[in-house]
Amino acid sequence: MPLDVAPILRSYETQRTLNPPGIPALAPLPTGETDDTRRLCERFGEEVVAAGLHNGNQVVHVGPAQLKAIAAFLRDDPQLQYETLIDVTGLDRSRLPLNGEGVRFQTVYQFRSYARNQHLTLVVDCADGGGGDGEQPQVDSLAGVYRGAEWPEREVYDLMGIRFDGHPDPRRILMPKSWHNHPLQKQSPLGGEEVPFTFTWDDPEFETLGTQILAAESAAPDLPPGMSRENMVINMGPHHPSTHGVLRLVVELDGERVVSIDPDLGYLHSGFEKTGENKRYKDFVYYTDRMDYLSSMSNNLGYCLTVEQMLGLEIPERAQVIRVIMAEMQRIASHLFWLATHVLDVSGTGMSLLMYATRERERILDLFEMACGARLTVSYIRIGGVWQDLPDAFVGELKDFIRLMPEKISEYESMLTDAPLWQERLTEVGHVSREDALSMGLTGPMLRGSGVDWDLRRDRPYTGYEGYEFEVPTSDRGDCYGRYRVRVEELRQSVRILEQAVGNLPSGLYKSNNRKVAAPPRAELDVSMEALIHHFKLMTEGFHVSPGYLYNGIESSKGELGFFVYSDGSAKPYRLHVRGPSFNNLYAIDHISRGEMLSDVVTNIGSIDIVLGEVDR
Amino acid sequence: MGLEEKVPEGIMTSTLDSVLNWGRANSTWPLLFGLACCAMEMIATGTARHDIARYGSELFRASPRQADLMIVSGRVSNKMAPVIKRIYDQMPAPKWVIAMGICASAGGPFNNYAIIQGVDKIIPVDVYVPGCPPRPESLLYALDKLRAKQALETVGTARAVVERTAVDEIMPLGA
Ligand code: SF4
Repeated sequence: MPLDVAPILRSYETQRTLNPPGIPALAPLPTGETDDTRRLCERFGEEVVAAGLHNGNQVVHVGPAQLKAIAAFLRDDPQLQYETLIDVTGLDRSRLPLNGEGVRFQTVYQFRSYARNQHLTLVVDCADGGGGDGEQPQVDSLAGVYRGAEWPEREVYDLMGIRFDGHPDPRRILMPKSWHNHPLQKQSPLGGEEVPFTFTWDDPEFETLGTQILAAESAAPDLPPGMSRENMVINMGPHHPSTHGVLRLVVELDGERVVSIDPDLGYLHSGFEKTGENKRYKDFVYYTDRMDYLSSMSNNLGYCLTVEQMLGLEIPERAQVIRVIMAEMQRIASHLFWLATHVLDVSGTGMSLLMYATRERERILDLFEMACGARLTVSYIRIGGVWQDLPDAFVGELKDFIRLMPEKISEYESMLTDAPLWQERLTEVGHVSREDALSMGLTGPMLRGSGVDWDLRRDRPYTGYEGYEFEVPTSDRGDCYGRYRVRVEELRQSVRILEQAVGNLPSGLYKSNNRKVAAPPRAELDVSMEALIHHFKLMTEGFHVSPGYLYNGIESSKGELGFFVYSDGSAKPYRLHVRGPSFNNLYAIDHISRGEMLSDVVTNIGSIDIVLGEVDR
Repeated sequence: MGLEEKVPEGIMTSTLDSVLNWGRANSTWPLLFGLACCAMEMIATGTARHDIARYGSELFRASPRQADLMIVSGRVSNKMAPVIKRIYDQMPAPKWVIAMGICASAGGPFNNYAIIQGVDKIIPVDVYVPGCPPRPESLLYALDKLRAKQALETVGTARAVVERTAVDEIMPLGA
């Protein structure tokens, strides 16, 4: 039965009348050159459309023909050494003024060289996969070059409809199998339903209510590709106590041993990207909270930094320090929750650590509440600074917390680190080698646990992290125990950063004075007409971002949280893509669980540290 | 409890309803089932500070067969809807549903192609809790509300309904 996503066109969400002429506009081509872009141009000159710097990032724009060779060159060339493919996304340019030139679909790749500390964005024009009208875009799959491309490419296919030639497993990944469109294509409606406040039984719209529902029938159990019926195939989730949410794993077992795992995602797919493309820039901050709901502050920060960088906005010193405080507190809270649930998963019954760790986490949530009134979905970090200044009592409470925390961390460690049972369940379980971690595009503790010494806070600092002293813990073990040690040590380092941050919290502005972007403080509205006008403009129209695109990543508690924003000059992002670290890290589950016991799968899920809101987005 | 002095013979009379409801309301076991951000607050409700054990509801059961209460803690996607319906159907009656948060109640901020605008489109809901996410206190208040509702249940009506259906089947109305 075809699904009827109520096709109501909400005019207020798509109107473009407020835009001056000249909008929408295409992003300008990159200009200038760097060593890396020059090297690529020398080697693949005939393929390169444009190369250089754009919004401070190295960008190379190429045609589709040599994509695989270019990727292999990026990875293997000793002068380039881009070991990792961080992200893949797609772009549908059908609402941009192409004027008959250029293709409708593009794919955008983010490459990272850890060895050389370089980042490179590759924009690829999609080839025509048949039909001749560019409506069936196709590019070569990079899964053979970087294993980590497999899932992001499936996601791009699912949501954007771009086919990847040579992909090992070209299925949908998030939407149900029978879904009828590719939601991120521009002609696909946002969907949803009219809010029925004013409806009566007689209104024709009444008929459409409730039609957004898939028939609640059980799906036919089909065998994922590559699995054999000879083995036992069991289903874990989406309702399972240890999958950290609505994750479904189809596990192929030989006795108790795992032969392969096929994760089935999308049970919490909430259409963040599509929604974001229909909201103004400032209005998406609130949505970021709800992606990785255990690190709302980091999500806020990552998104705001991306937009601010596109705006070229200066953030006042005080706001930056407050942001660091919040982001580090969030990291502690998130790691505490990880520890609590990890212990619970591994032991099956160990509630005590859950109680201890949440005790400390509640203190952090109380501090958040002091600062912004919310515990979980904070939206405290806004574009231009933070929402409001810290209350007077905050610093004292935070100092209390900092004093208390190291002792507590030791307390957790005394229960776990040397405990034989804990070691036995974690050692040599879920092993990822350094090469695999790089090739699969793992980030965060997953990467550091495999011996790669990389932390965006230290290596590509943002928000003033360059001014803090902290260590980046790594472990060469590559197993769950190594990752456990890394995270616990990160707790200590975060406390250290917090100490330094409260120690020199400067006075001054808590958000930018640029009234075009950041709303004036409430008190000003009573006395200044100008402030009132700014406020009105900002709330009704938002602000415009000049045409261009940018990928920006930050180190969230789970790994690299990246935002890719493409602006067409209007007040809404033309394309908004989120690189969720949980999503890319979860890809490893099949690899690391093979040959292990079924009960280790649960350990591995915990050790990857996923949040389904971010995996499924 | 001092009860033994009040009832020295050890015998009390009561109605079956009130005894049953007393028992049910004080040991409503929720399903261990988290969807999205609201689930974090549900877990927080379960931990020491908010202590859902005061309500006799600390025993989150992983199996729907052992659960009385489904707390729909988060947004329900199209892909998840059949699963939720199925889990609900697997729970033995009497069963209750709390729609926790605006997403479960009405779709919340996600009025788009992916999310169902309220879980009540697929299963009946007893208590709606506003908030995004509701604080643990709100969830506890919802349990209070649920208790009030549970106190009104009677075995009598359940029996009456069963009988009436039976009669209806034999002799449909209007026939
Ligand atoms: S109501 Fe808010 S907090 Fe709860 S699931 Fe929805 S978005 Fe998340």
